[in-house]
Amino acid sequence: MIDRYAKRNNRAERLRNNRAERLRNNRAERLRNNRAERLRNNRAERLRIKTASLKEYRLILSVLCILYSVFSFAQSNLTYTLRMAATDEVELLDNFPAVYETEKVNIRLYDGGKYEPLRYDEGRDTVDFIFAHPGEEDLTAWGDSVFCYHESDEVVWTVWRSKKEPKNRNQRVLVANGRNAFVQYLHKETGSSRSQGWIWWVFAGLLFAAGAAYACLVVLQRRKERELSSVEQETLRRKRMGKRRHYGAQLYLWLLLLVLYAPIALIAVFSFTKSKVLGNWTGFSLDLYANLFTGQADAGLNSAIWYTVVIALVAAVSSTLLGTLAAIGIYNMRARQRKVVSFLNSVPMINPDIITGISLFLLFVALGMSQGLATVCIAHVVFCTPYVVLSVLPRLSRMNPNTYEAALDLGATPAQALRMVMLPELWPGMISGFILALTLSVDDFGVTFFTKGSGGLETLSTFIYSDARKGGLTPELRPLFTIILLVMLTVLVYINIRAAKEEKK
Amino acid sequence: MSKILQIASSRRTWAWPYVLFMLLFVVLPLLLVGVYAFTDIEGHFTLRNFAKFFTHSEAIQTFLYSLMIAVFNTAICLLIGYPAAYFMAAEDFKTPKVMAMLFILPMWINFLLRTVATVELFNIFGLPLGEGALLFGLCYDYLPFMIYPIYNTLQKMDTSLVEAAQDLGANRWVCFWKVIVPLSMPGVYSGIVMVFMPTVSTFAIAELLTHNNIKLFGSLIQDYITTTDLLNYGAVLSLVLLIIIGLTSFFGDNSSETEKGGMI
Repeated sequence: MIDRYAKRNNRAERLRNNRAERLRNNRAERLRNNRAERLRNNRAERLRIKTASLKEYRLILSVLCILYSVFSFAQSNLTYTLRMAATDEVELLDNFPAVYETEKVNIRLYDGGKYEPLRYDEGRDTVDFIFAHPGEEDLTAWGDSVFCYHESDEVVWTVWRSKKEPKNRNQRVLVANGRNAFVQYLHKETGSSRSQGWIWWVFAGLLFAAGAAYACLVVLQRRKERELSSVEQETLRRKRMGKRRHYGAQLYLWLLLLVLYAPIALIAVFSFTKSKVLGNWTGFSLDLYANLFTGQADAGLNSAIWYTVVIALVAAVSSTLLGTLAAIGIYNMRARQRKVVSFLNSVPMINPDIITGISLFLLFVALGMSQGLATVCIAHVVFCTPYVVLSVLPRLSRMNPNTYEAALDLGATPAQALRMVMLPELWPGMISGFILALTLSVDDFGVTFFTKGSGGLETLSTFIYSDARKGGLTPELRPLFTIILLVMLTVLVYINIRAAKEEKK
Repeated sequence: MSKILQIASSRRTWAWPYVLFMLLFVVLPLLLVGVYAFTDIEGHFTLRNFAKFFTHSEAIQTFLYSLMIAVFNTAICLLIGYPAAYFMAAEDFKTPKVMAMLFILPMWINFLLRTVATVELFNIFGLPLGEGALLFGLCYDYLPFMIYPIYNTLQKMDTSLVEAAQDLGANRWVCFWKVIVPLSMPGVYSGIVMVFMPTVSTFAIAELLTHNNIKLFGSLIQDYITTTDLLNYGAVLSLVLLIIIGLTSFFGDNSSETEKGGMI
């Protein structure tokens, strides 16, 4: 009896012990796990912080690099400056359009490359600066580019692209650019006669240093990662396979954007100064903006803006109408007809500008049409309409094809059915086609160039082209395109934000 | 009256004005290029213009040179643009659309103005204007045309294929070459076509970027076509260009069908 009792007791004891042990074990297990997890977390945290600080270093390094290179280039650009001082020798300037300037012009020295005699092409070569020694017969040109002018038939100037500088730095020289000519003293700024080659070496060295530093950092980071446990390595590897930020990739994209935006930034920055020459800072000024808005800019520019707007509106409206009708027609065609018309539709899109332009030019010549506003408008409709057709067609395939027929059955005339049934459905496609046509028309150069005729009609593109050929942009173009850029930026950002919001909903 | 109504209500006919317009202003002009190429100034049939082209070494050289420049430019754009498109599609950006937009935005600035600014930039940095500047400028102008179609295809790509490759043990390199690149080929083709064709026919950019020291085929055509008595010879040159364009679009066409729709 007692024996049995003791046995039972014993068993209970054992059971209790067992349970306690298990519990204890469990707790220890959990604790151990917890600690390991915390450790792991800690390590990951540390790693994250480290990589974040590494990113900071890289950023600072690259900024330093860029700043320094810009600084050194700015220095070298200041080396030789022309002071527009004397205007007493105006008689010398017979061959130049007599316009005088009183602003500083930077002359950049040409260093490196071949120096060959420029073939003098009458009235064609446009170059920036000419230095002549008054009284001497030969014209010595130097600088990175040379302006060839041709006003008189008697005097044949030989223009050489040469590295030769005037011997005496305080010599009186004749300077001309696309618009202006003046007599002045070549003035040397003291204490900064560095050559650009030297700066290039520094620049290259800096870039190299930045690259090396970056490589070292990446190696260090990798080594840190290797210390992690295999599980952690696996998760890191997994992460890297999927979507994740790679600093190298991001750097690449941003560098690419930097290069893409550099010329645009140049235009935007120099729209805030009065200087006639792009790349020459003469202090902050809003005069160019004022000129643009008060119509004091070049008369040619004003008419070019006007014509661009008119042509774009005419082309966009007519191509939208024509294209929408055509899209409805094409959509209802049988397969074979549809194929033929679609091919026809794609021809102007495949054709490069120059071919479209030349073929239309030949047509207008053959028909004996005088080229001007009308021909440019027709040409723009030609290359805009296919895009309208393509943006309306998807809307058509999305709408119920029976609604139109239903409207007809209910007694609507085709016009009514079109207006009240089809148009509301097609509206978004028409709008996007209209906008597309508008931008294509504003942007076009090649087609306009060949169809504008010689009547003095210029759109913005052709105006810029003839301006650049003459050797210098009309300064008011800079604020104009800065404004266009800012407007486009706001519009696109707004559209994107709205789209993102709608997505969230 | 009822007949007219009937015609108007069959919507097939609504495309007729457009077809007529296209025949008059697209097909007829292209045929005219051919007609002008085979005639002389007085309008008589002649093959002399073609004979002139094949013996005109400057034209042949310029033609080959332009082709070479176009091929180089396309290759450079592909080399620079593919990684950019890939990174844009693969990276985890907070706002991926803004990134794509940033690459498109420069195209809103007139390309001639951008080219002039590039020339000015070269001047500021003291770089010589020549072949290098030409290639840089062309690449700068046409890079977005390469990036965008590739980005489009990469974005639409089925990522589960990549995951499947990874699960089956492919490493990143193999996965990239065997899965991602073949899948993005349609975009690459249409990118190549979209860069190559305008580069071959470009005519103003080269002139501005090299101060007219390097002539491309487009500039040559422009020179001849705008000279009245050499118009027929200019037509021959345009015809040559047209053939090149036709060949490229023919080879590019079988793949780019969907891409063009995607662009718009």
